[in-house]
Amino acid sequence: MQAFFTVNTTAELICLLISVFCLIGDKNKYWRALVLYLFLVCIVEMGGIYLRLAHKQNYTLYTCFLVIECTMISCFFYHLYKKYHHKPSLLYSWLGLFLLIYTAELFNNNFSNFASKTATFMSVVFVIASLYYYMLILKDEHFRKLESYPPFWIVNGILFFYFGSTACNVFFDYLLHERAHSLSLSTRYITFNILNVLLYSCWSYAFICRYRQRN
Amino acid sequence: MQISSKELIILIFIITFIFLIAPLFLIIYIFLYNKKKAKHLEEKEVLKKTFELELLKSQIEVQEHILQTIASDLHDNIGQLLSLTSMTLSSIKADHLREEKINTAAELTQRAIKELRQLSKKMNGQELIKKSLGHAIAYELDWLSKSLAFDVQFKDNTTHSISAHADKELILFRLFQEILSNILRHAQASQIKITIDQTKDSLSLCVKDNGKGFVLEEKITAGDGLGLFNLQKRTLMMDGNFIINSNPGAGTEIQVSIPYK
Repeated sequence: MQAFFTVNTTAELICLLISVFCLIGDKNKYWRALVLYLFLVCIVEMGGIYLRLAHKQNYTLYTCFLVIECTMISCFFYHLYKKYHHKPSLLYSWLGLFLLIYTAELFNNNFSNFASKTATFMSVVFVIASLYYYMLILKDEHFRKLESYPPFWIVNGILFFYFGSTACNVFFDYLLHERAHSLSLSTRYITFNILNVLLYSCWSYAFICRYRQRN
Repeated sequence: MQISSKELIILIFIITFIFLIAPLFLIIYIFLYNKKKAKHLEEKEVLKKTFELELLKSQIEVQEHILQTIASDLHDNIGQLLSLTSMTLSSIKADHLREEKINTAAELTQRAIKELRQLSKKMNGQELIKKSLGHAIAYELDWLSKSLAFDVQFKDNTTHSISAHADKELILFRLFQEILSNILRHAQASQIKITIDQTKDSLSLCVKDNGKGFVLEEKITAGDGLGLFNLQKRTLMMDGNFIINSNPGAGTEIQVSIPYK
């Protein structure tokens, strides 16, 4: 049982609990959807640990989850951009392109490995999307108190996670087999622990800000 | 040259570290830029407000100047003409019947001169305000009580006048005149209570009537609240507070308070 409570899962569970408390009564469907998304994140993470403990490959689970992850984050970005009069065609085009690359990689790997190239491509797109959002904020004449502006903190978490994970994604194949000398866990795992804590800390803070502003 | 596994892992750690530091600095930069933006917007707002205040001041100055010119024209020209008429009337020698009529005409002319002087004084706001705001309001109410039957109660709780704020007092007096004019035209009131209070750093005016009252939101929606909007705008220009409490059938209370220290 203890194996299920790692740094990753603990951060995700705390964030899920905060999201349930802060967002369940939110009027906005995109914010409410984050609760469901975090629930799925926890399920997938637990499932991944279960499969690992059962000495079974868990990449299929994470590969499938990549679609949910991309859809959720993309829809949230679309929701953020909507204020600046962006059209839904951009979202559909991006999701179409993602599915194309995703399917191509799965066929290329013969469904026997994690779609790491698609994940890297997705990370780059999300980093660009985050930077573009910053640009929109800076260009916007309307002043916002960023210290407590929830969408800004959601984007901060996304930028930290996807920009920080770029190096690991690029060296994915190498890290999959290599183990750190003095540590029993792989470099990728440690890095993702740090990134996950950063991501879910930013998101939890955003949910709290959102809750406080709503009341 | 081949890189060892250990070196590659260290390299990955360093790259990841750099990739984490970069967004951090970016976020800090955005925070700083945002703060600058806030400061800029604040300055813009102050400039806008100062400009509007200057504009309003010059409008009021022009208005006051026109009123002053009319007041002196009334006093000097028409007043002189009426004085001459009065003198001419008093110099006429006529029979008993005609004398009575001439005396009545002379009396009426005297009253016209008196009324004209009072009107001229009333129009010349700067002259009126010279003594105090309370004196100016009392003079206005005196004028009102002569022409219309109102139960007017006036309380002057001010302690002293600050000569540096004579402009503010004049604007407040003009606001009072407009509020009073609104009551006379629309409120159908029989009782008006006016109070002016002074604290350490503010001067406030409260005008309350027992008229028909109104629903403020309805006035604004119907586009009928322009007068009220102007009153509010002029108060805000002096960094003051403007509060209206009104209910249909329950009269209206208007409170205006301005910084005064």
